[in-house]
Amino acid sequence: MSKKQSLFARLTNPKYIMVYATIGIFLVIYAAGGMLYGDKGFLTVRTFVNLFIDNAYFGISAVGMTMVLITGGIDLSVGAVASLTGMFIAYGTTILHLHPMTCIFAALVMGVGLGLLMGWVIHYLNVPPFITTLTGMFLARGVCSLISRESIDIHHPMFDALASWKIYLMKFADGKWVRIKPIAFVNFNVILFLVMILIGAFILQRTRFGRNIYAIGGNEQSASLMGLPVGRTKVLVYGFNGLCSVLAGISYALYVKSGWNLSLQGGELEVITCAVIGGTLLTGGVGYMIGTLFGVLLKSVIPALITFNGNLLSWWGKIATGLLLLLFICIQRFVVTSTGRRK
Amino acid sequence: MAVKRFDLSGLMQSKVTWAVIAEALILLVCFIIRPDFFSISYQPSTGMLYGSLIDIVNRSAEITIISMGMTLVIALGGTDLSVGALVAVAGAIALKFLRWDVLTYTTPGNYTVYPYILVIAVPLIVCALMGLFNGFLVAKGGIQPIIATLILMVCGRGVAQILTDGKQFTTGYSPFRVIGQGSFLCLPMPIIITIIVVVAVALFTRKTAFGAFVESVGVNPSASRLSGIKAGNVILLVFLITGLLSGIAGLIYSSRIMSNDSNNAGLNFEMDAILAVVIGGTNMAGGRFSLAGTVIGSLIIRTIVTFVYYFGIVAEATMAFKALIIAVVIVLQSEPVRKYFAKRAAMRRAGAKS
Repeated sequence: MSKKQSLFARLTNPKYIMVYATIGIFLVIYAAGGMLYGDKGFLTVRTFVNLFIDNAYFGISAVGMTMVLITGGIDLSVGAVASLTGMFIAYGTTILHLHPMTCIFAALVMGVGLGLLMGWVIHYLNVPPFITTLTGMFLARGVCSLISRESIDIHHPMFDALASWKIYLMKFADGKWVRIKPIAFVNFNVILFLVMILIGAFILQRTRFGRNIYAIGGNEQSASLMGLPVGRTKVLVYGFNGLCSVLAGISYALYVKSGWNLSLQGGELEVITCAVIGGTLLTGGVGYMIGTLFGVLLKSVIPALITFNGNLLSWWGKIATGLLLLLFICIQRFVVTSTGRRK
Repeated sequence: MAVKRFDLSGLMQSKVTWAVIAEALILLVCFIIRPDFFSISYQPSTGMLYGSLIDIVNRSAEITIISMGMTLVIALGGTDLSVGALVAVAGAIALKFLRWDVLTYTTPGNYTVYPYILVIAVPLIVCALMGLFNGFLVAKGGIQPIIATLILMVCGRGVAQILTDGKQFTTGYSPFRVIGQGSFLCLPMPIIITIIVVVAVALFTRKTAFGAFVESVGVNPSASRLSGIKAGNVILLVFLITGLLSGIAGLIYSSRIMSNDSNNAGLNFEMDAILAVVIGGTNMAGGRFSLAGTVIGSLIIRTIVTFVYYFGIVAEATMAFKALIIAVVIVLQSEPVRKYFAKRAAMRRAGAKS
């Protein structure tokens, strides 16, 4: 047996089964949408790219959340931290007339600092992640409201330029490049989302830090006995998640061009849902970035379908997401017990 | 001499002690800033007692009731995220039965379309069944409680909205008003309901073996199964109780506003209830639980909020304020800090002996 496995053997490894389930269900729902609303343009490139544009901020946050969940932890503060980032940018540029980069820098210090602090409390003071990050969420949300109760518009030449910057998707026709019809474009948020997914996948699969994350999630005690730096890894994971929350907040601010103290309420659970339907186990140890990518797409295709239908209340989206979650949990349960039995 | 010395160090290591001290400190600060904080007056026209303390207990009713169930869930080593959504569902169903067809009964008034017993019973039964659904996923499906209850948390509010067509109904039916705004023995009705619930749960867990079963399953499910406890049934019953209690809290909440508000009813209640339980000294890893501690935890959370309102601090600061106080309590309760105190107490005792 060669040391390097063949591509086929690597792809059919049973550990990827959850990722394939996510991709498969996404394709089924997408195809069903195509059959029902194909004539309304559901299958166009524009609709597909809009899935990314409308959910990039969830996706960016889900990158960090996936890592936290793989260590067996949870972070409930992401929505509030992202909202606070928006408030920093809005209040800083519009009221204090600071440069957006200054505000973003301050937000990064705040988000990463809070993340590291929470990681430290979780590991060294042994407080459950749920409680620690819940307190972090209350704190960030409280500071949001202290800054301003009202929504603040963001006006700054550089910020507006970044928000409206876009690359039109082109096709080659009649010897020259033309914009595809209906017009579809990719903006900064989408690129940031995809780059973060790539960075996340690189960290998890190709670095020692990533291997440590999986080891801690598999069994924290064994990881510690093996001499892995458990404390440092956990603190850094929460710090990285803080970074992702801030980036998600920037992306959301670019998307809505304002800051509001109550924005993204409950966002943390949407992000966790994305990761879970992407095949990440909340018990830790299992999860892939590609799964999270499709988890975000799968969660965002449902509201898109409801919009195309036009008659359903948007609340059906919540119910459909809940049912999807139930389906995935049952599949996971089945996979875990069947692989467990094989051993 | 066999006089038992008051063991202070043991008391300092108990988490409940810290919760009581925290609550006493907050109340003390209130008293120093404004001595009339503790005054309670009687209003003959409504036959009710008024005062900040009454208000704290009254307003904490929903969280206290829910956190009674949450204490048991956490003692099992789980968490129930769906309680807030169930509060919204209970309110939506109650108002649906009170107003049924809004097109026929256009103006809210002192009437109910369906018998009052249904208005009360159906929400409670539905919430209990939803709790049972959670319990079924956990006990029979072997799914982690936090994910199993995430399902209803995500789609519960959707169900509540669809039940009422996304509309907000109001009602003026006076028997319904009694639940949240009435009084009994000079006390607001929610306080009476809370006392009944707390006593009932306490009796049920401490006067029967059920509480011991819950703790045993929380510490080691397989060992308790081997010793003859039906772990599955214990889990089912605990989630059913939590669902039912969420339903009661939902009725109180919607009776206070005489309306259903599927977006905001019970928002973040799961978080507050979990915090109340943890501040009250029950370990999130499961095992021993303290219902008295939970009641104090719930009171602490409400006292902070009342404190902020009462002293005219910007209401928006409540969250940040709450976070700071809770952070202090949690850090003081954390294992390393308590060990440090235990070590110092032991050293002092050794020093006194020599």
